[in-house]
Amino acid sequence: MEESKLVELAKSGDRQALAQLVKNNEQTVYNFSFKICRNRDKAEHIMQETFFSMIKSLHQFDGNSKISTWLYRIVSNHCLMLARKDKSRTFVSIDNDDELYGDKYTADWSNIPNLNIENTELKKILDESIDKLSPEYRIVFLLRDVEGLSTEETAELTELTVPAVKSRLHRARAFLRKELNEAFSR
Amino acid sequence: MSEEKPKCKDVMQHICESLGEELNSDKCVAIKNHLDSCPDCKSYFKTVELTIDYYKQYKVEIPKEAHSRLMNFLDLSDCE
Repeated sequence: MEESKLVELAKSGDRQALAQLVKNNEQTVYNFSFKICRNRDKAEHIMQETFFSMIKSLHQFDGNSKISTWLYRIVSNHCLMLARKDKSRTFVSIDNDDELYGDKYTADWSNIPNLNIENTELKKILDESIDKLSPEYRIVFLLRDVEGLSTEETAELTELTVPAVKSRLHRARAFLRKELNEAFSR
Repeated sequence: MSEEKPKCKDVMQHICESLGEELNSDKCVAIKNHLDSCPDCKSYFKTVELTIDYYKQYKVEIPKEAHSRLMNFLDLSDCE
């Protein structure tokens, strides 16, 4: 059944349709939550809160965008809220261009094995690198580059201007690339 | 930034800004010309692309138990 029809039925109280909407989107939401918080327990908690919020405010959904786009916004807000509560965490500053673009190490990227389920070492590197980025940068990178939203959609979801999204995006990309380069040179 | 002769740092910054976007402005053409002839920038461009690819490929499946707990939490487990 088409998403718009499911939304219409769910809004009118059809619980089967609502359950189907949840099932159709749970993988996307779980995966995206995990990518932001890099922790399975937190990802599950955020997924539950996200769908709870979705059900509570489904009547406000205007149908002009896909449900998944709307869910990305809810996940992002929950993650930012969680991160702001956790005042013990500090993140690296990525304002210095010379540090961001200058390489101290030479890595041979051609020898990096493909990412697969068994490659826990590479996953660890990816987790540790993105974990150093503040959630504000992480969310922009994930929405735009990993989930494939447009710059404009990312700006709308994060309530940033398009230039601000571009600025955060290029710094996040440069930072992650630098972190990976250092890790691969070890 | 000079449009005729961009420096490596300018190119790297621009690569990071505009990957995945339209590259047809005068500035972008100058950047592409530089990229064609500069191995350092070419390599940098490739590694930024690879960085994004790694994060794209890194997906996690929702565990079955997490799905069940979600449906319980939402009081929808009878709709399975």
